[in-house]
Amino acid sequence: MVHVRELSKVYRVHQRPPGLVPAFKSIFHRAYRNVPAVQSLSFDIGPGERVGFLGPNGAGKTTTLKMLAGLLHPTSGSALVNGFVPRERSVGLLKSITLVMGQKQQLLWDLPPAETFALNRAIYEVPPAQFQDTVRELSELLELGELVNQPTRQLSLGERMKCELAAALLHRPKVLFLDEPTIGLDVAMQLTVREFVRRYNERYGATVLLTSHYMEDVRALCPRVVVIDKGRLLFDGAIEELVKSVKPNKRIVLKLSRPVDGADAARFGEVMEHEPSRIELDVRPDQLQAAVAGALASLPIADLVVEDPPLEDALRELFRRSRTDGADSR
Amino acid sequence: MRRLLAIYPTLLRVGFASALAYRAELLVWMLTTNLPLINLALWSAVAREAPVHGYGTPEFVAYYLSTQVVRLVTSAWVVWEMTTDVRQGVMAMRLLRPVHPLLDYSAENLAAVPLRAMLALPIAVILVVLESAHLSHDPFTWACVPLLIAGGWAMTFLVMSIVGTLAFFVESAGSVFELWLGLYAVFSGYMVPLAFFPHWLRVVADVLPFRLLLGVQVQAMLGQLSHADIARAFALQALWIAGLFVAVRLLWNAGVRRYAAYGG
Amino acid sequence: MLRYLRLVGIQVRASLLLAMQYRVEFVVQGFAGLFWSAATFVPLFVVFGKRPSVAGWSFGQALLVLAFFLLLRSLLDGAVNPSLVQVVEHIRQGTLDFVLMKPADAQFLVSTAKFDPSALSGTFGAFGLFGWAFWKTHHAPSPGGVVIALLLLAAAVALLYSIWILVVSSAFYVVRVDNLSYLFTSIFDAARWPASVFRGILHFVFTFVIPLALMTTYPAEALLSRFTWSDAAASIGGALAFAAVARLTWRGALAKYTSASS
Repeated sequence: MVHVRELSKVYRVHQRPPGLVPAFKSIFHRAYRNVPAVQSLSFDIGPGERVGFLGPNGAGKTTTLKMLAGLLHPTSGSALVNGFVPRERSVGLLKSITLVMGQKQQLLWDLPPAETFALNRAIYEVPPAQFQDTVRELSELLELGELVNQPTRQLSLGERMKCELAAALLHRPKVLFLDEPTIGLDVAMQLTVREFVRRYNERYGATVLLTSHYMEDVRALCPRVVVIDKGRLLFDGAIEELVKSVKPNKRIVLKLSRPVDGADAARFGEVMEHEPSRIELDVRPDQLQAAVAGALASLPIADLVVEDPPLEDALRELFRRSRTDGADSR
Repeated sequence: MRRLLAIYPTLLRVGFASALAYRAELLVWMLTTNLPLINLALWSAVAREAPVHGYGTPEFVAYYLSTQVVRLVTSAWVVWEMTTDVRQGVMAMRLLRPVHPLLDYSAENLAAVPLRAMLALPIAVILVVLESAHLSHDPFTWACVPLLIAGGWAMTFLVMSIVGTLAFFVESAGSVFELWLGLYAVFSGYMVPLAFFPHWLRVVADVLPFRLLLGVQVQAMLGQLSHADIARAFALQALWIAGLFVAVRLLWNAGVRRYAAYGG
Repeated sequence: MLRYLRLVGIQVRASLLLAMQYRVEFVVQGFAGLFWSAATFVPLFVVFGKRPSVAGWSFGQALLVLAFFLLLRSLLDGAVNPSLVQVVEHIRQGTLDFVLMKPADAQFLVSTAKFDPSALSGTFGAFGLFGWAFWKTHHAPSPGGVVIALLLLAAAVALLYSIWILVVSSAFYVVRVDNLSYLFTSIFDAARWPASVFRGILHFVFTFVIPLALMTTYPAEALLSRFTWSDAAASIGGALAFAAVARLTWRGALAKYTSASS
C-alpha cells in the first residue's frame, strides 16, 4: 500500500544572527544552510497494516507524512501510495488517502460540522447512499449525536477532534495518515479515538500510519513500529522485536509480603525500583530462570511477574545509542 | 468538467452558509466601502457654486451612488484569505482535497455576492428614486449591466488569485495588492469620474484594465456608453479574463511546486 | 514610568525586526506608503483645478488640513492599527489571557503591542506639505497660533487613541470585528477635507460623534490664526471628555471579559 525507497528531503533554511544590524543586512543578502530532514528512508506497509511512526521532535515524521500525502516533494528517492506517486497529486490519490493533523483542522470554524461533511461529500464525490451509511456508522462509532449540528467553535477540543476524524474519513480512504491525532485530549477521549481507529481499520481494511507521543496509543494500536531519528531509519519491525533487540533483559516485578533489604534483592538482578512492598529487577535473559527460582526461594513473595521493559525505555535507549553512534562517526 | 458541475453547487451552498454565518462581519466590511459617499459630499460642495465639467449636484449623486453599488457587488477577498491560509498552514489542508483550491475559493467568494447585492439594494433604490432622470433609459444597456458586472467580478477575482498565489513565493503578498488597489482607485473612476482627467491621462486609463472593473459599468448605468462602447468593453473584458486565467494557472502550478519544495 | 518607556522601546525594536524579516513586504510597504501619500494629492488637484476655493478654503489652506491628516494617518497606520489587529486576534484566539497575566497595565500593553515602522514614512510627507502650504498661503503662523495648533494636535492624538480604545472594547462584545479597524480608517479618510465641505448630518457627525473636524480642520485653522483660545479650550475639553469615556468603556469591557472567560 505504501512503498518508500531511499526517500530524502533537504530543506534550505534562512540563517540570521539576532540583532538589528544583521536583520537589516538580511534584507539585501541572505545566508542559507541545508538541513537534511529525511535521509534515504525505506520501508513498505502492506494493506490493512497499522504502523506506528515514532521518533523524537524534529525527527522528520511530519515531513515524511507530508511527502507521502503529496504536500512536499522529495529531494530524492521515491514513494508510492496505493499505486500513485504522491507528488503528482492525482485525484485518484487524494480520494484514497486522508491526513489528520491533531494541531490543524479542516472543519469550517463558524459553521456546524454537518456543513463540512456536506462539503466533503461533494468534493470527494461520495455517492449519497454511501454518504448516509458512512455518516451513520461514523456517528455511531464516535458517538457524535447532535454535535454535528453545533457550530464548530462551540465544541470542546475532544468533540472537535471526533468531528475532525469523521470529516476526514467520509470518503472511506484506504490509507490514513494520522499525525498526533490524540494530542491534548484527555485519557478517555484518547481511548475513544484509539478504539475508533482500530475499528475503522478492521471494518474497511484501511492502512494506518500513525505518529504519536503517547506510547499508549502506539502500544494499543500498532503491532509494528517504524522508528526514525534525525531523518534516518533506526528500527522497523514488531514492538516486541524492538524491545527485545534494544533491551533484551527481562523485568521481574516482585510484590512482597514484608519489606526486604535492597541488597538481598540485588543478588538476583539490578534493582530498578524499590518500594517497601514492591521491587523491580532487571535480569539478563539467560539468568532469568535462576533469578526467579532464587527469589522465590529466599524472599517473602506475594506475587511475581516477568515482563518486557516498557517501550519508552527501549526507545530512549535506541535514540541514545543512535546519537552516540552519530557522534562517533563524525 | 462534468465533475465540476456536480461539485460546484454544493461548494456554492456551503459558501452561502458561510457568508450567512459572517453576515455581521460582511455588513461592517461593506460599510468600509464608503469612499464614494465622502467623495459625493465633497463634490457636492464644489458643485454648489457652479457645475464641474457639466456635473451638477444631481449628476454627482447619480455617479457616486452608482459607483458605490458597482463597487459593493464586484468585491472579493481571496487575496487576504490565500495569504493567511499559506501563512497558517491551512493551505496544506486545501491541497489535500481532490478539488482545485482556486475553485473552492471562487465558490466561497461568489456565494457572498447575493448577500452583498442585498445589502447594496437600499443604495440602488435611493439611486433610482432620486436620480432616475440621470440614468440610462435604454433596455439593452440595462440588460448588459449585470453581464458587465459579472465580467468585472471575474477580473477582480482572477487578479486577486494571482496576487494571492504570490504568497507561495513571498512571505506576504497582501501589500502587493495594496498597490493594485491604489491604481484601481485612480484609474477605474472610483475616486473621480474619468471624464475629469486631462486627455493624456484618459488615454492611459483606457489602456489599463481598471476601467473595466468599475468605470464601464457605472458609465453604462448613467447612459454614457453607446452600444458599440459596450460591445468593446465586453470584448476587452473577455480578453483580459482569458489572459488572467492563463496567468493564474501558470503561476499557481509554479507556486505549488515551490510550496512542495520548501514546505509550508 | 521609565519602565513603561523601556517596554515601548522593546516593542518598537521587535516590530522593526519583524518588519525586516518579511523583506519584500518591507520594501513594498515603504513604497506603498509613499504612493499613498502621493495619491492623497490627486483628488485635491482635481478639485482645486476647477476652483480657486472650495467651501471657503483656498488650495494652500486645504493643503494644511491635508498635512495634519497625513501626520495623523501615518500615526494611525504605524502605531495604532497594528496593535488593534493584534488585540482582536488575541481575543479571537483566547490568548488575551497571556497579556492580562503580565504585571503591567493591560491597556498600555495592548496599545503598544505592535508598530509598523514602514507606515511612519508618511510623517516626512506631512512635514513637506506643511512647508508647501505656508509657501502657497504666504502666511507665517503666529506664535500663539502654533501653540494652539500643537495643543489641538495633542488633543487629536488623544482622540484618535480614545476612538481606538472604543473600537477595541467593542471587540470584547462582538466576535470577529477585525474589520472594525478598517471601518474606522475608511471613515477617518474624510478628515482629509476641511470640515466645512460637509453639510447637514455628516457635518454634525464629524463634529460631535466622530470628531474628525477637531483632528485636522481645527489645528489648520489655528495655524491660519482663525481659531481663538476659547475655541481651543472647548475643543480640548471635549477631547478629554472623550478620552475619559473611552477609558471607562475599556474598564467595563475588560471586567466583562475577565468575568465571562472560562
